Amino acid sequence: MGARTPHHWFDFLANPERFMAFSRWAAPVLGGLAVVLGVAGLVLTFAVPEDYQQGDTVRMMFIHVPAAVMSMFVYLCLGIASFLALVFRHALADAAAQACAPLGAAFTVLALATGSLWGRPMWGTWWQWDARMTSVLVLLLFYLGYLALRSALDDETKAARAAAILALVGLINLPIVKFSVEWWNTLHQGSSTLFAAPENRLPAVYLWPWALMSLAYLAAFGALWLVRIRALVWRRKARALALRQAEG
Amino acid sequence: MHLDFDAGKYAVYVWPAFALTAVAFAWMIADSLAGARRWRREAERLAAQADKPGAEA
Repeated sequence: MGARTPHHWFDFLANPERFMAFSRWAAPVLGGLAVVLGVAGLVLTFAVPEDYQQGDTVRMMFIHVPAAVMSMFVYLCLGIASFLALVFRHALADAAAQACAPLGAAFTVLALATGSLWGRPMWGTWWQWDARMTSVLVLLLFYLGYLALRSALDDETKAARAAAILALVGLINLPIVKFSVEWWNTLHQGSSTLFAAPENRLPAVYLWPWALMSLAYLAAFGALWLVRIRALVWRRKARALALRQAEG
Repeated sequence: MHLDFDAGKYAVYVWPAFALTAVAFAWMIADSLAGARRWRREAERLAAQADKPGAEA
């Protein structure tokens, strides 16, 4: 009896050829979807009436909240991919982790910057060391630490392993970011989107542009993540070929 | 549908937020596509070199 190869639902990740065939059409489809959703979301962003309290600054919600949600979602992807790379040694899981870190860092910078620009007119301050803002800053530091570790070590295997462990440690911060507004008194408001209590939920007129822009951000991330993983697959192939030629 | 681009006294906060978002997305798109193009070309160049007769002699 031969040894049985374990099969998992994520096994397609382990096969670069199957992934390249899938991502070849999936990346442009997701990119096109992001453009359509983004244009529709932007039109609604500037079509909704200004808020009776926040005035025109309410339009910043439709770019700030999706960026903040994506900063956490991308980190969750980074954590899952790092776990799969560490435990199952899947060939593409490490590439998936490496590929999403710069995108997650960009979304986090965007969330912090647009939040600061929204906070100044509404709260009277650019920055406050409260639980939500500080925990998002810590999230950014985890992203930057991950990227720094990956580029600091010459041995790529060691760098990937160390960075994956850091990514897993950073997962602890995600519930802190999410529930910081409930656990502590902060300047930041609680959730007011789909899963909020009905009395706290946004009016439908604001929910639509928020939902469209959130889906646009998600589709854009999906497209760019696939493109970046493809780049890493080609890079590995190029390095393997260069090594073979050098040995030959 | 009427589009309201007049942010009034808040324009100084609203427009930089949208401009920053545009810059961030432009960077993410440009960096991702440039990286993919660069490594695909490099892999194809090395593969073509390896396929040449006598390349591994």
